[in-house]
Amino acid sequence: MALTLDDVSVRYADMAKPVLTIASLDLPAGGRLAITGGSGSGKSTLVNVITGLERLRQGHVRWNGTDLAGLSEGARDRFRAAHIGLVMQDFHLFPGLSALDNILLPARLSRVATPDCVARAHGLMGRFGLERPQQPVETMSRGEMQRVAVARAVLRKPGVIIADEPTASLDVEAGAAVADLLLDLVETEGSTLVVVSHDARLVERLPRRIELKNGEIVHDTAGSHKPAGGDA
Amino acid sequence: MIRFVLADLRRLWAGALVVCLLVALSTALGVAVTLQERALRLGSARAADKFDLVIGAAGSETQLVLSSVFLQPSPLPLLPGAVLAGLQTDPRVEWAAPVAFGDSFAGYPIVGTTTRLIAATTPGFAEGKMFTHEGEALVGADVALKTGDTVKPMHGTAAEGGHTHGELAYHVVGRLKATGTAWDRAILVPVQAVWHIHGLGEEHEDDHDRAQDGAAHEEHDDGHDDHDHHGHIDPDAPISEQFDAEDPGVPAILVKPKTIAAAYKLRQDYRNDRTLGVFPGEVLTKLYATLGDAKLVLSLVAAGAQVLVAGALLLVTVVHIGQRRKQIGALRAFGAPRLSVFLIVWLELFSLFLTGIGLGVGLGYGAARAISQAVKQGNGFDLPVEFLHQDAWQIGVMLMFAALLSALPAWLAYRQSPVAALRS
Repeated sequence: MALTLDDVSVRYADMAKPVLTIASLDLPAGGRLAITGGSGSGKSTLVNVITGLERLRQGHVRWNGTDLAGLSEGARDRFRAAHIGLVMQDFHLFPGLSALDNILLPARLSRVATPDCVARAHGLMGRFGLERPQQPVETMSRGEMQRVAVARAVLRKPGVIIADEPTASLDVEAGAAVADLLLDLVETEGSTLVVVSHDARLVERLPRRIELKNGEIVHDTAGSHKPAGGDA
Repeated sequence: MIRFVLADLRRLWAGALVVCLLVALSTALGVAVTLQERALRLGSARAADKFDLVIGAAGSETQLVLSSVFLQPSPLPLLPGAVLAGLQTDPRVEWAAPVAFGDSFAGYPIVGTTTRLIAATTPGFAEGKMFTHEGEALVGADVALKTGDTVKPMHGTAAEGGHTHGELAYHVVGRLKATGTAWDRAILVPVQAVWHIHGLGEEHEDDHDRAQDGAAHEEHDDGHDDHDHHGHIDPDAPISEQFDAEDPGVPAILVKPKTIAAAYKLRQDYRNDRTLGVFPGEVLTKLYATLGDAKLVLSLVAAGAQVLVAGALLLVTVVHIGQRRKQIGALRAFGAPRLSVFLIVWLELFSLFLTGIGLGVGLGYGAARAISQAVKQGNGFDLPVEFLHQDAWQIGVMLMFAALLSALPAWLAYRQSPVAALRS
């Protein structure tokens, strides 16, 4: 899925300056983008905006032309469930459920857990080296947990995968394994990938990188962004 | 969704168990109060069903009914013998029978009465036959004696320090079928034998003097004033149930009027400064009014307990939801519809309420049954524990309330912003 940001500005009531200001950003379908930046630079806000978690009051975020700013909260939930696979630093797995049940949970809650979907979940587990589908997630290693989280994110073959610090809580080896998984997946399934990370090893493997500072893009390896308020 | 809820409850089983038990106990309290109060009304009404009109000496209406219908030991003043004789010949009366009590055996009250009363108020014999001689006795269905056993009457009760007529004895000749009343725990003997065992009625002249002296004011104090008037019974003497004015006094007379109009007239006639006529049903109604107030208080206490438990649970749940904001935010972030989040939280809490209420209804029913059983063993009369349609409505209202209560934290979760939740 292709991403287009246009005149995006996110401002909170108790802050003098916007926390995110992006005049323009384009990412073609199948593109791979790394977002870097220090703490408070606006990375998480950008993720929230492009996933539709944050309601946009100014500007437009379009995925293949669908403007998230024009969608209701429920419609954004449905869009996210169908098109965006989200991987987070803290995994957000649900204890008490098995690995397989965790992978299937969002699909089940959205009532789309068809037999094909269940079969794909099993397939992904095998592909990710998770041998015990019924293993309770709380008994897994952190690397295994993140692999379960990745499988959950890609279960419905989303057009875009957004990973927010996917390797930050893993050791080097496990982090590298998860990075391999993500890159292999987008390669084979043709998904667009957006990764927020401090992990230089992961970031360097992505062809395009942007850096945020004070809510603005200060560096883009593609050189195509327009500075905030700029005309270029 | 169910799987998720069950997994969550399994994970938090200790808290879930406490919540269920709190709901169950508060529900059980309300259910037990309702069922037991109804059981008491039904049981006492059924016990008094055969007792149309009871006549005793002037005094307490309630005590007269408790002593004659429920056979609760109590000192009652005696009616002059003339009252019984007069009632037996009254054209408005189908039959009238004395009820003389005060003695006991092995904890069972001994009641002196007539064959007519027994025939009219009991469903017949489980075994044996009606007494026909002074030394014969019948036992109620719950009396642990069998035909042929010997009954040695004791003045009053063992607890009151009564003494036994060791030289006198009845022989059990029959067992009555169950009536579900206190009379199932009674030993029934001819009233004539009760009189004779206390040295009454053998010398009409003496008794006549007693009556003339105002036997109605004599205290029938369980030990009887006639403690020392030990008489004797002739076990083989035939019984006579034709009474005259010179017969000794009795504490109560059960009257079967021929018509309703006659019943009211008789009650009016016998409500004077010497005698008291009561409809047991009417007295019980007054008692129910008092019990009704008690029930209201108990029901309010039970309802208060339920509200407190509900409030406490609501507080706990809201705090719990607050602590799980991230989990709820993550569910939303992964695309779970808001309605699913609402249903998960609602279902989780409501299932606890549902389980607790179900357990509570069972516990309350069990407690009411246990109380009834204890009363049955102690006093002999049934307290039928029954559910009515209105109970289903009440339980339905409780479930509705639980459903609404569960909706509040669910609504909070529904309204929660996933971004704010994940950021927290």
